Amino acid sequence: MRRLANLLWVIILLPLGYAASSLAQSEPIRIGVLYPLGGPAAIYSKPALVGHELARDEINAEGGVLGRPLEFLVRDTKVKPDVAVREARALVLKDRVDFLMGGLSSAVGLAISEVAREHRVLIVQPIPKSSAITEERGHRYVVRTASNTVIEGRAAAVLAAKNPQNRRIYTISLDYEYGHKVTEAFIEHLRRLNPAVEIVGQAWPRLGETQYTNFITAILEAQPDLVYSSLWGGHFVAFVKQANPLGYFQRLRHLNVAEAGSVEVCRTLGEEMPAGIISNAYDVPEFPDTPAHRRYVEAYTKRAPYASWGIQGYIATYFLAAAIEKAGTTDTEKVIDAFEGLTIDTPIGPQTIRAFDHQASRGQVWGVITCGGGDPPCKLDHVEYIGAEGLWNSVEEIKRLRAQSQ
Amino acid sequence: MPDFSFLLVQFLNGLSQAMTLFLIAAGLSLIFGVLGILNFAHGSLYMLGAYFTFTVVRLFQEDAAAFWLAVLIAPVAVALVSGAIEWLLLRRLYAREHLYQLLFTYAIVLIISDFVKFAWGTDNLSVSRPAVLAGAVRLFTRYFATYDVFLLIAGPCIALGLWLLLTHTHWGKTIRAAAVDREMLAALGVNVPRLFTTVFVFGAWLGGLGGALAAPRASLYPGMDVEIIVESFIVVVIGGIGNLWGTVLGAFVLGQVNAFGILLLPRFAMVFIYALMAIVLITRPWGLLGKPLVQAR
Repeated sequence: MRRLANLLWVIILLPLGYAASSLAQSEPIRIGVLYPLGGPAAIYSKPALVGHELARDEINAEGGVLGRPLEFLVRDTKVKPDVAVREARALVLKDRVDFLMGGLSSAVGLAISEVAREHRVLIVQPIPKSSAITEERGHRYVVRTASNTVIEGRAAAVLAAKNPQNRRIYTISLDYEYGHKVTEAFIEHLRRLNPAVEIVGQAWPRLGETQYTNFITAILEAQPDLVYSSLWGGHFVAFVKQANPLGYFQRLRHLNVAEAGSVEVCRTLGEEMPAGIISNAYDVPEFPDTPAHRRYVEAYTKRAPYASWGIQGYIATYFLAAAIEKAGTTDTEKVIDAFEGLTIDTPIGPQTIRAFDHQASRGQVWGVITCGGGDPPCKLDHVEYIGAEGLWNSVEEIKRLRAQSQ
Repeated sequence: MPDFSFLLVQFLNGLSQAMTLFLIAAGLSLIFGVLGILNFAHGSLYMLGAYFTFTVVRLFQEDAAAFWLAVLIAPVAVALVSGAIEWLLLRRLYAREHLYQLLFTYAIVLIISDFVKFAWGTDNLSVSRPAVLAGAVRLFTRYFATYDVFLLIAGPCIALGLWLLLTHTHWGKTIRAAAVDREMLAALGVNVPRLFTTVFVFGAWLGGLGGALAAPRASLYPGMDVEIIVESFIVVVIGGIGNLWGTVLGAFVLGQVNAFGILLLPRFAMVFIYALMAIVLITRPWGLLGKPLVQAR
């Protein structure tokens, strides 16, 4: 009798065991996420991380990807290429992650892109903008969902060329990879749009510069028709604070790339934010006024104060999920194939990964800083989205660039 | 071609940058001259001064005098913090080798840096200029920020005050004596440890004041400490460490090289400074106005 009871137990338990083994199949998809978690750069990476996590939680709540939840292994890069490389290697070799995401600063972006190539692991980069990542030094294992310096510089040139009086141009940019690349793209495209353009001066403060009065006086002296600046974050804040009392913004037209129009910068400067300058951002809460974007902004602000960089992490995560879904597997090579030409719907409209260079069609929102009270009192207004199409380097141009750098 | 008023404005720009630099370097130089400690954390005290200023201005933002209140309170708060550091920790290290003191002040740099991130976050912060000084004054055909005019007046006043303090007060004379021979001073019945505390606190107060006065011109961020300490070291090396007028000269030179270097060769402005420092180090290692180091007892 007892033996029969035992047998019964076995019969009951057996299917449960099967069920357990099928549960094991829904083990998480492991994604290594690389960002600076502290320091001055964290004003960009923290919101991006919130965006990543928001997307992950939404996806997991819907049952995950291929029935498997997404799991993040977040590592600190300290904005240093050597630290980032070490962490990326450890994620690949020790933690056996399926994919990598992240990177902040062009130097880190390029460094971890090399790790991805070396270990044949796919990396999705939502923030680094140096065009080299997908152009001269592009390869199969890197996908960029960020915009890039060519797209950004040329979009600025289009806006500058709208006013035919913008002939004598002064540029001010930080003396490193991003500053040079984005300024070069701007000048080259502006010359194409308006051959009468003349560069009357160029200033190259070093990364981390805090004293701008000397530059400002030199610019005022040159009396250009337009000042093009790619100072970002604290650099831009310091520049504005030193330029305001001199009436700089009343006397000169100023165009500032590098997301100076983001809500983060507007909050820092408050009423000192200069009205009338043309600038850009990755995202603004009011635009586009679509249900998808409103839903995103609402979900984001439930987690953290609205920040424009959040959307970069959010879109990158959805892109990766869509590519895995399309591939039907987490096999790296198949997911990369799935990425090529992939289009997804995002809160800011459809985005596509170009098959040849894995560069997203991501542009930015551009507008004019307008002050009208509220919180923050000044913000990017008259906003339009300028996408990558028609601005980014063509496939032929990239092939040529890659051949030259060989 | 740059005309006279442009050169004048650029000269004044360099001068007003020199003012805050002078305050910070003066504290650094004083502490080294008397205590013999190269205080790496001096930049951190400057940063604390700036962040305290931000907080006080925020607290009293309704009040027109908020900024002036902050300029009074913030350096004192910095002085209190540094007093605690000296009294609880640093004084235990005076007898040790220089290396331990360097390591200790470096540890303070890291601690204050983390504290700033923890207390104020990593975002850039900004302090508004007081309304009276928000505008600009006309200089022939050009403009010069009123706030910088204020710095140009405040800087020399503070330098003069420091000089009077060091040369015409009992405390100042004792300090100068301590810089020469602290053992003899102790033998004469002066309480040297207490003197050291007051000098350290006073030097920190100067750094904090530099931070408070620099705050409306710059953006505040964790990392501004390292930025300023490098420049202060350059000032002190060029001018001569432990010499007040040397610090004035060093700050003046650095400000002017910055201002006019940018006009001539914008991309190499910083190189000029390092080159100048190298030349001074090779030809006059004790600085332009310093005295050759006599083997101290």
